[in-house]
Amino acid sequence: MHRRSFLPLCGLFCVSDAVLAQTTVAPNAAAMLAASDAIRNPSQPFSVTVTLTEFQAGKQIDTSTLTSYSRIQPNGQFASLVRFVQPARDAGKLMLKNGNDMWFYDPASKASVRLSPQQRLLGQASNGDVATVNLARDYTATLAATEDIKDGERQTRRAHKLALAASAPDVTYASIELWVDAADNRPIKARFYAESSRLLKTAYYRRFQPQLGANRPTETVIIDGLNPQSVTLLRLSDYTARDIPQTWMQRDFLPRFQPD
Amino acid sequence: MMTLSLAIRNLLRNRRRSLATLLAMAIGAASILLFGGFSGNIILEMHTRNVQRGGHLQIQHRDFFLFGSGNPTAYGISDYNDIIKAIQSDDVLENLIAVVTPTLQFGGIAGNYAASVSRTVIGTGYVASDINRMRSWNDFGLRSKAPVSVLAGAPPETAVVGVGVARVLQMCDALHVDKCAPPQVKADDNASALPDDIAQLSLQESVATPLGPARHIEVLIVNSRGAPNVTALEVIQAEDQGIKELDEITLITHLEKIQKLVYGAAQPRVTSIVIQLRHSDQLEIARQRLQPILDRYSSHQPLALMDFRMLNPFFVQTEQMFDTIFGFVFLLIGAIVLFTVNNTMNTAVVERTVEIGTLRAIGLRRVGIRRLFVTEGALLGICGAALGVLLALLLSELINRLDIPWVPPSMVEPVPLTILVSSNPALILKTTLGLICIATLSAWWPAYRAAKLSVVDALRHV
Amino acid sequence: MTDQGPASQPAAPEAPVALLTGVAKTYHMDAVDVPVIKGVDILVRHACFTVVLGPSGSGKTTLLNMIGCIDKPDAGEVVIAGTKVGELSDDALSDFRAKNIGFIFQNFNLLPVLSAYENVEYPLVLAGVPPKIRAERVPRLLEAVGLADRAKNLPGQLSGGQRQRVAIARALARKPKLVIADEPTANLDSQTGEAILGLMRRLVIKNKISFIFSSHDHAVIRSADDTIFLKDGVIGGIRRRPMEAAT
Repeated sequence: MHRRSFLPLCGLFCVSDAVLAQTTVAPNAAAMLAASDAIRNPSQPFSVTVTLTEFQAGKQIDTSTLTSYSRIQPNGQFASLVRFVQPARDAGKLMLKNGNDMWFYDPASKASVRLSPQQRLLGQASNGDVATVNLARDYTATLAATEDIKDGERQTRRAHKLALAASAPDVTYASIELWVDAADNRPIKARFYAESSRLLKTAYYRRFQPQLGANRPTETVIIDGLNPQSVTLLRLSDYTARDIPQTWMQRDFLPRFQPD
Repeated sequence: MMTLSLAIRNLLRNRRRSLATLLAMAIGAASILLFGGFSGNIILEMHTRNVQRGGHLQIQHRDFFLFGSGNPTAYGISDYNDIIKAIQSDDVLENLIAVVTPTLQFGGIAGNYAASVSRTVIGTGYVASDINRMRSWNDFGLRSKAPVSVLAGAPPETAVVGVGVARVLQMCDALHVDKCAPPQVKADDNASALPDDIAQLSLQESVATPLGPARHIEVLIVNSRGAPNVTALEVIQAEDQGIKELDEITLITHLEKIQKLVYGAAQPRVTSIVIQLRHSDQLEIARQRLQPILDRYSSHQPLALMDFRMLNPFFVQTEQMFDTIFGFVFLLIGAIVLFTVNNTMNTAVVERTVEIGTLRAIGLRRVGIRRLFVTEGALLGICGAALGVLLALLLSELINRLDIPWVPPSMVEPVPLTILVSSNPALILKTTLGLICIATLSAWWPAYRAAKLSVVDALRHV
Repeated sequence: MTDQGPASQPAAPEAPVALLTGVAKTYHMDAVDVPVIKGVDILVRHACFTVVLGPSGSGKTTLLNMIGCIDKPDAGEVVIAGTKVGELSDDALSDFRAKNIGFIFQNFNLLPVLSAYENVEYPLVLAGVPPKIRAERVPRLLEAVGLADRAKNLPGQLSGGQRQRVAIARALARKPKLVIADEPTANLDSQTGEAILGLMRRLVIKNKISFIFSSHDHAVIRSADDTIFLKDGVIGGIRRRPMEAAT
């Protein structure tokens, strides 16, 4: 399997407990966080097409297309089943992210493999963690500052800078800095840090468009913190609300999955 | 005594033949001894190296050896400091042990992002001051010396990598590694470029995190809770590990630094407690003494005691291979000795047929005839073996003095070629006794035939 | 000394040193069986100088071999010094020979690596005789055969006659009852041969040892006490001279 086309972007969209509480701009940090979560993610189960493009040192080196099916499990954990569509060599391969477990399935060899945390350090697997972070559920927010920053389209915006500290024991990122728009709690930029306070990833959210009932960021630019020459572009399209049974989010189901 | 005296004089009767037989035996014996001395030295070198690097015994989580390579930090030992204290306070072990030190093995990715390259590595955190204490172990008095690690005394943010890692991370010049032409990367000019607006964003981020000088690497690992963590280290040395595969993945750094990275504020653990003894032959005594200590701390974690042979299967295989070859050489030369002495004794029997008849006539029993010839065979064996030993001792001394440099398997630097014969009395004894037995045995059949001769026919022999 | 003429014999005869009854021996060669001794009865007197006389091919050597217990007959019985040697095992036979029989060979058959002294000493060493007694007896034996000054010489350094003397001394080393010599003078010139015969005769008389030797030379009849005529494997006749009284 190719690490670069490895995309556990399943569950880009985590639905927080406080559903759709984004109508009023609250000065409360937790409320801001919850609101920004709600902007990123629809609350009902849905599918979306994800186009991934990787750049290294200014040149495109890979691109792939995936379909992601996401839902919230009864225990509150977020789960996504991702199916590779492009390129042809990866078509049909599946990825399952269920909480902290990540599984990969290849229909050609009928083999399913669980990825260890170490294997997820490399490539797109690491980006998946950026996209799937369930912020309000796993982090405690405090308002660090209110300042002007340049957003993903290089426009200056007034933003609340939230300092997020991990509140759950096994989250990927020890701390996160999240800038949300002061006006409407849109997520603008996020910086993801390791326990040693080293920057691991930077993400910009842009191209907000109405999708499934809200203006959601349809593009995320992820810049690797250790190697800033490495840039990944996530483009989301064709959001569709649909019924996704809980049984899909199991490793044993992977061989039987049929796309519609 | 008559038998002995007769045997000696009979051997001297045909000096040329006896000498030829002796020489054949001597050359055979010397060959066996020289080969034994050569392979013996290699085994000692490997033994020493293994003990210098990994000690004699290691206390590990029971499943670490077989399953730990996928995720080492999952097999950490808690209360390792208590275990070490218990070992150090045992009065028997105190006399046996040279060094006790904890190590933590981890997997991660080392990156030189200035050159946009990274490599998966398997790293080990040591207590730096103990590394060179362990490397000074030389119980067999070998002439080769282990290279000194510069990690001892270096600041905690430093690391040593294998030369393969240095090559892949393009740090050859900074670390003075030879044979390191950077790979020609074919630029794909048809690839589309990063859109400008995104390029701008990327640039913004680049300025924010300045990259260090040429010897800096970022090491990305997964901590004990499964989350990534990263630190910057300065590589101060590229060290040849002796085996290419190891060179390409090895990273050595300070224990405390890695523990903090992996375990954070939680209680730190180690994956192995390394124990180096003063003398290898005390291993079993040490093991007996250590087992109860292990049992005491095994209530919540299964611990195992691994010796350096279990941990270095390549060493055991090499040992066995040399033993097999030695056995083969011995058999081969034994067969030659057998045939040579047999031939010599057969000829002697035929030549002395009348004599045999005479001896029988004047009353020597059949057993006496057999004894006579077997004694001659044994004498040939003793003299041949003795001469062979002398020859081997001389040759090995000569070779050792010549200081011919060569690189034994899994060593990194050339060492003077050494053949250990004089320091290996067991080898000399084994070979000598073996060859004497073979010579004696091979004289037995001709002796038996001589004794069986009918007296009348023997006397009638022309 | 009692005044007895040469015709009168001592009163009580000693037991014969060798007694052969109905002894026969056949050699098996390829497809042919050759009978060499065809049924003989022989009595060899004690302390006698006996010669077996016959042409070559008459079976002299075979006969002597059987008397010397180095060969077994196909039929008949051999009794040496009162012992039925046919019943002895191989080892017992070796011991018997060592103790009772001395051998003198046509080709001397000395051990070439041992000196004259050591050759004579050898049977004594085999018998386990203590060194002190050996040191006493060997020089006397050498002197008796007239080779006291040649003790340290190897056989290669001695003439034929000297070698045969050493062989005689060796044969006598253990004071055997019977000394057997197969054509002892065949490889010596006539003068030396006569000297050797004379020596053997003197020793027989002196030591009261039985001596039996083979020859094809009729001239030896003069020296012998008993003559056994052998032809074609059968006894042609035995001539016994009355024993001389000891003087």
